Amino acid sequence: MNAPASLSRVFLHVDMDAFYAAIEQRDHPEYRGKPLVVGAPRDQRGVVSTASYEARKYGIHSAMPSREAARRCPHAIFVPVDMRRYEEVSARVFAILGQYTPYVEGLSIDEAFLDVTGSRQLYGSGPEIARRIKDDIKNQLGLTCSIGVAPNKFLAKLGSEFQKPDGLTVLPATRPAIMEFLRPLPVTRLWGVGKVTRQALDRAGLHVIGDIQEASLQRLTQAVGAHAAAHLHALACGDDSREIELDVREKTISREHTFLRDERNRSAVDAMLIHLVEDVARRLRADGRRATGGRLKIRWKNFETFTRQKAFPRPTRMEADLQAMAQHLFKKITLTQPVRLIGFGVTGLVESQHSQQLELFEPPDEVRVKKENLDRTVDHIRATYGPDAIRRARHLPPPEK
Amino acid sequence: MKIKVKKEAIIDGLQKVQSVINPRNALPVLSNVLFRAEDGKLELTATDMSMTIRATVEAEVIKPGATTLPAKRIFGVFRELNVDEATMEVSDDNIAFIKAGSYSSRIHGISETDYPSLPELEEPKTYTLDQGAFRNMLKLASYAASIDPNRPLLNGVFLHFNNNKLSVVATDSRRLALVEQEVDFPADAGMELIVPLKTIDELLRTMGDTGNLTILATPKQIAFQFDGVLVISKLTEGTYPNFRQVIPQGASNRVVLEREMLLAAIRRTSQLVIDAISGVKLMFTPNRLEILAAAPEIGEARESMDVKYKGPEITIAFNPTFLMDPLKALTTDEVYLDLVDDTNPGMIRSTINFVYVLMPIRIS
Repeated sequence: MNAPASLSRVFLHVDMDAFYAAIEQRDHPEYRGKPLVVGAPRDQRGVVSTASYEARKYGIHSAMPSREAARRCPHAIFVPVDMRRYEEVSARVFAILGQYTPYVEGLSIDEAFLDVTGSRQLYGSGPEIARRIKDDIKNQLGLTCSIGVAPNKFLAKLGSEFQKPDGLTVLPATRPAIMEFLRPLPVTRLWGVGKVTRQALDRAGLHVIGDIQEASLQRLTQAVGAHAAAHLHALACGDDSREIELDVREKTISREHTFLRDERNRSAVDAMLIHLVEDVARRLRADGRRATGGRLKIRWKNFETFTRQKAFPRPTRMEADLQAMAQHLFKKITLTQPVRLIGFGVTGLVESQHSQQLELFEPPDEVRVKKENLDRTVDHIRATYGPDAIRRARHLPPPEK
Repeated sequence: MKIKVKKEAIIDGLQKVQSVINPRNALPVLSNVLFRAEDGKLELTATDMSMTIRATVEAEVIKPGATTLPAKRIFGVFRELNVDEATMEVSDDNIAFIKAGSYSSRIHGISETDYPSLPELEEPKTYTLDQGAFRNMLKLASYAASIDPNRPLLNGVFLHFNNNKLSVVATDSRRLALVEQEVDFPADAGMELIVPLKTIDELLRTMGDTGNLTILATPKQIAFQFDGVLVISKLTEGTYPNFRQVIPQGASNRVVLEREMLLAAIRRTSQLVIDAISGVKLMFTPNRLEILAAAPEIGEARESMDVKYKGPEITIAFNPTFLMDPLKALTTDEVYLDLVDDTNPGMIRSTINFVYVLMPIRIS
């Protein structure tokens, strides 16, 4: 379902400010006003998930190794990621957004597009709705966000990035004014321009969005290829016809783990893999769909990464099937180098079918049902008594001698 | 080579052999039929290199010899003849001259020395069966074989010669058909053979209902001889799944049904089934069967009929094609349907030595 078409559309892009860090600071007054890093501990491998604005002053940003963050700001506070709590807060943010329009497209846990074209009669103009959303989020949740208001998604997102934190940026609505606004901005602000495209554009002498507005399509095509050229030219002129996509459910569920020290021991990697698959299976069951394929990911010590994938004989959400798939894929891999990262994911998630042709040579139905029940019971025990309440024997610490 | 041959005889022979030819084969000579005339008969041979069929027809051999001629064209020529008899003379450079009444033609062939030689079976085991009975066994089982190319073992029919008994089995892993018959053979001549479905289809097409059938088998090849026809085929290598383990042994509830009535009722209701996993629902109550097919946004169909049944109420869903296949192959007036519940396999039996195991569709 798409939002109603209209000549003058109003889109909002809502982006929570330093979401994880802001929640921690809200709930722990002692963290407020201080550089705070949510992510891996300062002395361990792993990266920063979110840095508070105080920490960002030291050059700390998401995806930076925690050790590097600690080096840049030795007095920063490091706290672990508490995903469950952030998900709860996120759900409340989305509940507020949903009050203003049914056309909400969640991009991630802390970011969403809204089409409020049809909401203006009820709640006022685009900027007025943005203001009301900011007030609701601040009053009800004690958090701030930045919002961009614009005639399309691309410009709305540009707007929310323009002024952070706690910003509200209204972009012009007429084409000449939009082009004027975009002209001095670097090309990296265009949706889809990453490192590689930027380098290609740089080589062609195209540095700011204005350069792309004026460049001939031929010159652009030479720089980035025909497909990207048309896309970039439209964006540079502020054109973006993407609609709000409702209920975009993820097509994959995956987990990966970076070892504290590169792991040479095959059975240690295997034990971690089993643990990851367990978690993927739990999330798959919670999701309710079935997976059509499995994918194993390995990153060696030298950062070389590769994946192996295979389809299940039929869609499944049974942990035993996922574990068998992970083992099948892992067995084919020779540990030629120490392993830095291991990951497993399920792909091609499909809705559970209401009916299913049973098989002659597969385990009788009761066995499958029993296994699914066992999986659910384990989920229940963990939800009630904590993740360590029940574990596979091979994950127990070795007996003391 | 020079022969005089009846139109009817050569048409019959060509029809028996030419369907084995693979139209996409790489060698031109494999699109040809091998003609060999000697001892008052004409042998016609065609092959796709996996399977070879040879048919022998009566002919007046004026000068023995052999050549190969393009199968489709030569068949077309004889089919359209307006007289009953033709003469064919083949020159040393493999050009066939055909004369029939006022018609004459010249067709370029390829030397018989380019044609692959007939595969030889080394020290085969030999079985002799009634042709019609064996054909009926294939008919009762072969439709259950899988056509999924990813499951080559199941793309064939399993022949198990054991304990003076032949078991013919086919399955696609959702249903399984088994038919058995006593056959005399030496105790040490037991064999397990997987015959590719294409060979089975050719046998069903060419075999008759009377006369003897001789089967010669080695672990890699099988030959069938009947009515002047020889079919030699490669066997599928591998171990067939243990089919006995999926045939239910426990207690069940038996429904006695009139075969043709059930077949017609399922055919009618299944018009509203849209895909293979929707299925038709069968609801059994004492002496009554109600059949229901429903597809969202299309509609639903119902049908009911009298049956002989005294057991508990059972509702079970099946793929209608899987249900109809054995009903079409059987010829008895009544069939028995043995059921346990809605998730255990159902079994169709008949008065003959036939078992059909069918997994239901689970509806949640």
